[in-house]
Amino acid sequence: MLELNFHDTTFEKCLKCHACTANCPISSATLDFGGPKHLGPELKRLMDNQQVIDDHRIELCTLCGTCDISCPENVHISTLTAYLKAIHNEQQGTKFRDFVLGNAEIVGKLASAFAPVTNITMKIKPIRKMMQMMMGIHADRQFPTYQFHHFHRKYNKKQSNTKRKVAYFVGCYATYNAPEVAEAFVKIMEYNHIEVAIPEQKCCGVPMFANGQMKQGLKNATYNTDKLLEYTRQGYDIVMTCTSCTLAFKKEYTSFLRTEEANELATHIYDANEYLRQLHDQDELNVDFAPMEVKAAYFAPCHMKGQGIGNPTMDILELIPDYQIQDLAASCCGQCGTFGFKAEKYQYSMKLGNELAETVAEVDSDYTVTECGMCKNQLNQVTNKPVKHPMEIILESYEKSHNK
Amino acid sequence: MYDVVVVGQGLTGLLSAIYAKQQNKKVALVAKGTGKNQQSTGLMGLLPGSTKGLAEWLKYFDFINQDKIMIKHGINHFKSLMDQGSYPYLGEIENPVPIVTASGHVKYTALYPKSVTPIIEGGRVVVVGFHEMIDFQPQFMKGNLLTARPKLTVETMKVKLGASSQRTMTQLDAARLLDQKEVRERVISQIKEKLNECKLSKVDMFIFPSALGIHDWQDTLEHFRTELQASITEAPGLPPNASAIRLNEVLQRKAIKLGVRFYLDSEVIGCKLRAEKLTQISVRSNHRISQIKGSHFVLATGGVLGGGLEVTTTNIKETALQLPVDHNGAFIKKPINVYPVGAALGKNVYSHGITGGIYSIVSSYSANLQIIKIEQNGGLQHA
Repeated sequence: MLELNFHDTTFEKCLKCHACTANCPISSATLDFGGPKHLGPELKRLMDNQQVIDDHRIELCTLCGTCDISCPENVHISTLTAYLKAIHNEQQGTKFRDFVLGNAEIVGKLASAFAPVTNITMKIKPIRKMMQMMMGIHADRQFPTYQFHHFHRKYNKKQSNTKRKVAYFVGCYATYNAPEVAEAFVKIMEYNHIEVAIPEQKCCGVPMFANGQMKQGLKNATYNTDKLLEYTRQGYDIVMTCTSCTLAFKKEYTSFLRTEEANELATHIYDANEYLRQLHDQDELNVDFAPMEVKAAYFAPCHMKGQGIGNPTMDILELIPDYQIQDLAASCCGQCGTFGFKAEKYQYSMKLGNELAETVAEVDSDYTVTECGMCKNQLNQVTNKPVKHPMEIILESYEKSHNK
Repeated sequence: MYDVVVVGQGLTGLLSAIYAKQQNKKVALVAKGTGKNQQSTGLMGLLPGSTKGLAEWLKYFDFINQDKIMIKHGINHFKSLMDQGSYPYLGEIENPVPIVTASGHVKYTALYPKSVTPIIEGGRVVVVGFHEMIDFQPQFMKGNLLTARPKLTVETMKVKLGASSQRTMTQLDAARLLDQKEVRERVISQIKEKLNECKLSKVDMFIFPSALGIHDWQDTLEHFRTELQASITEAPGLPPNASAIRLNEVLQRKAIKLGVRFYLDSEVIGCKLRAEKLTQISVRSNHRISQIKGSHFVLATGGVLGGGLEVTTTNIKETALQLPVDHNGAFIKKPINVYPVGAALGKNVYSHGITGGIYSIVSSYSANLQIIKIEQNGGLQHA
């Protein structure tokens, strides 16, 4: 049984004002979800010093964290819902499908090893129908493609020899699905005379937390914390290109691990654009950007909003001459990591996705910019606009300016 | 480095951020939550809980005659903002109108969204509740409404939205259902059936909970009006009211689209002063503390109710900048580039910790004018 006295008692400040449920993306899409107010602070009050309650409705929580940013009393509701997921898992056991989806790293390793085959297989309808029947992965959900030449095969420096030192936590998506993002980041750092090191790392744990695999998630969190602290204590900054990984280190690790080490590490964690913005604030950013006549739309991932860092992606892209970027002011994309792959959740995922598609169509830009690979997966499926990671755009501008 | 940093995301915070951004300023908005806007009714009153008019309002908030033009402009600016957001506000501050709330209480309000219609003096009204929604009880409302409006004939009914819910259904949930045409048709046919049963032919007004649609509220309102052949109003009650959620969405979306930088889940826990100026605020988000620099700081922290002021056993504390305040909650020595707005001004709280929407609108507008004026005179160095 899980130890329930796992975190501080900030939930006591909950006034039941309903802001969390009013803003919860899944609650906006369906009445089937109990909502963060009920499954967070209310249930915790009911359980404290009493019997543990396993509530299956928690399965619909995506851990997007919108409840956390909505609460006027600063209650971190998603910490409570994450533990409710763990309780549910502990009592009901992990479904094979959820085990697979939760282990994005293992899937990434295997899928990229057989990449051409995996990518084709995932597009074969009868196979997908069978996967839906046997595993509960919806047949219509498009999968991200896997790359045989994944990032670790290409770049694996362990040390940085420049004045500023950056250790890059690549994350599963940029490693196995989008090595071009990781490569772009390394090159952007080179343009700023910073050599990038790649520390030993495991999946950040976000897909595990979201699938109730708390123990495995915490194991990864501890491993990553130890490995990355070796770097920060030598003066490295830790930078990430995936907003879910970044938020995990800033929020989940500190809330779940509750160790001095996690808190220490969190002060050294930067989203890539946040890092570039800091370089710019300190007059260290290479601003030799070639003009780009583009009209782009920006989709802010929930896990970016949750970091409390403003909007660094737009801050940086707006430095590119002639570059126009408009925030879509949209809600959650509905993919929500592993959530949108699951057959029984697909309808909710697509309801949110279709709302987003309307917003994207209204703004009608050349392409959509977003940091999150999973948001990109949804945008790819529901819109016909290309989707780019900000690192790809920044690199394009640098390379144009250096005639590459 | 921002030109204007706004603390708080309620009505005053969002308005202040939008107004500053409309002046092409670089604007940050720092907020630990969504603010109290979503818990409001969406109605803009003069002096909450009273029937007092504009003259008393002007006096209460120490406005002078010369301010009247500014006030008029502020109100018009708000109205045009809401028009652009396709959620128009009606009414005039000179003529507050009576509005019925979900408890059946009649209150006076100066501005109200188009989904709300002032309550009539006499005639026949029908209060419609939903079986699935416990926060709105027509029978309960009827008693109070008859006390306030004895000349009315009040009938009540409950109809089914036809949806089961895994959580206590709120006005917001009902509103999302009523965005769907088939749900509306189901509701309307039940209302018609019940009218037939009671042989009610002529109804002057239908009163609903604040739930007549969210994104498609205009269609919803029109649908009910044409089918029921009477005027329709929403009666705001326990939060979340659809009337307030729509207002909040319009303002939030506008601010984001204009390019206001939102620092969410971020609590202001102190500041740095140089001479009489505030240079930066300390912000805690997810266990991390960072600094946000700015030229002007709008404090839209909402007073005691919003959490910007905290009443202790001995005094009042200001929780964001953590600077000393007097027994009313007003800064003892306000930094010259800090502009408290709405309830954050402390002394201006009228009743139940609320200042009233009109004061919030006007003070946000006025703070923005002060910033413009200082900038035009060459910035703070010359202030």
